[in-house]
Amino acid sequence: MFQQKGHQDPFVHVGSVTAPDAHMALAYAKECFFRRREGRDLWVVKRSHVHHLGDPSMLDQITDKSYRYPEAYRGVVGKREAAKAKVAAMTGAGPAPRSAASTAGDEYE
Amino acid sequence: MTYEENETAFKARIDAGDKIETNDWMPDEYRMAVLKFIEMHANSEIMGALPEREWIPRAPSLRRKMSLTAKVQDEVGHAQLLYRVAEDLGKSRDSMFEDLINGRTKFHNVFHYPTAHWGDVAIIGWLIDGAALVTQRALLDCSYAPYTRVMKRICSEEQLHLRHGEDITLELANGTDKQRWMFQDGLNRWWEPIMHFFGPPSNPAKDVLLKWNIKSKSNEELRTEFLDHYVPRILDLGFTLPDEGLHFDEGTGHWVAGEIDWATFWEVVKGRGPSTEIRLSMRRKVWDHHRWVREALSEPAWNAA
Repeated sequence: MFQQKGHQDPFVHVGSVTAPDAHMALAYAKECFFRRREGRDLWVVKRSHVHHLGDPSMLDQITDKSYRYPEAYRGVVGKREAAKAKVAAMTGAGPAPRSAASTAGDEYE
Repeated sequence: MTYEENETAFKARIDAGDKIETNDWMPDEYRMAVLKFIEMHANSEIMGALPEREWIPRAPSLRRKMSLTAKVQDEVGHAQLLYRVAEDLGKSRDSMFEDLINGRTKFHNVFHYPTAHWGDVAIIGWLIDGAALVTQRALLDCSYAPYTRVMKRICSEEQLHLRHGEDITLELANGTDKQRWMFQDGLNRWWEPIMHFFGPPSNPAKDVLLKWNIKSKSNEELRTEFLDHYVPRILDLGFTLPDEGLHFDEGTGHWVAGEIDWATFWEVVKGRGPSTEIRLSMRRKVWDHHRWVREALSEPAWNAA
């Protein structure tokens, strides 16, 4: 059985029950896992209808795919500061004015 | 309950901040509006992959080629997620594609423009993705729950794209005079389309998207949010913006754009942009060329094999 906490959350597998049909499985699931209203919705799926990947090597990345991860762009902050310093040295101008919300900085710093 | 009573109850749910699921009862106006909105978003993701795709063969290094390819793959992936959500609202994927390639449905104005050089890739990656992220973040609170769930994933990938775009921008900004010129030249051409991207000032009383909380922020609010974030960052890199009216309003504490000419915007979104035809014909060609794949993977053919 799968449960969903909030409307933005995915359904997550939380356990299983033994029951003669889907209707009864839902009833059991509700009593076993939802006594305290742990989420907003429940799904039950017959075990034989679940297919899994099995071989974990299917997930291997054969070549370097580091550019798919945020860590690949860690250098951005340093490059930004270098570019700003270069421009400031050239023009002598200070930083451009910013709104209160924007002075909070960049989301990925 | 009558239709009107249902509709009143539904509007009360929306106003209370409740979220709607696919199988919930919904008024026709809501279904049409949310479908049209998500379909347009999906169209924009798949059309938006094309301008950048043009630069994969011409990327300046193998690393840039790989990361740009990965980014284009992400954008097409977003279209897949969004078409899936849209399908559940009652329009088949085939008809959405047919409508797109025949110019019956829209996609974002910025993807109707040509790209001139690698500087444009920096603009698209940093500023156009940045503009898209401003609008997409506002959609995380959309009343249609299945849309918000895919938006969560899309936003986190767009965040990565933003770093990728800023990294290319900074390489140009820290580079030679020619490299700096490339970014500036791109900026000069793309600034107006980016201002258009957020759409014309809307009348909140008439905006059906605001009424049903499909969108929660007006076009003007989103444009200001973009200006506040990006204008100082662009200026600090020593670039200039092609808008004489652009200024920081000390009173409100916000950046304000000059007069925006909306005539061009309307021409472009009606499918008369400088590259509309070339991009749609590309999409049409792919659609026809790959027909055999769709047919081979269709359920009857697959089960017969």
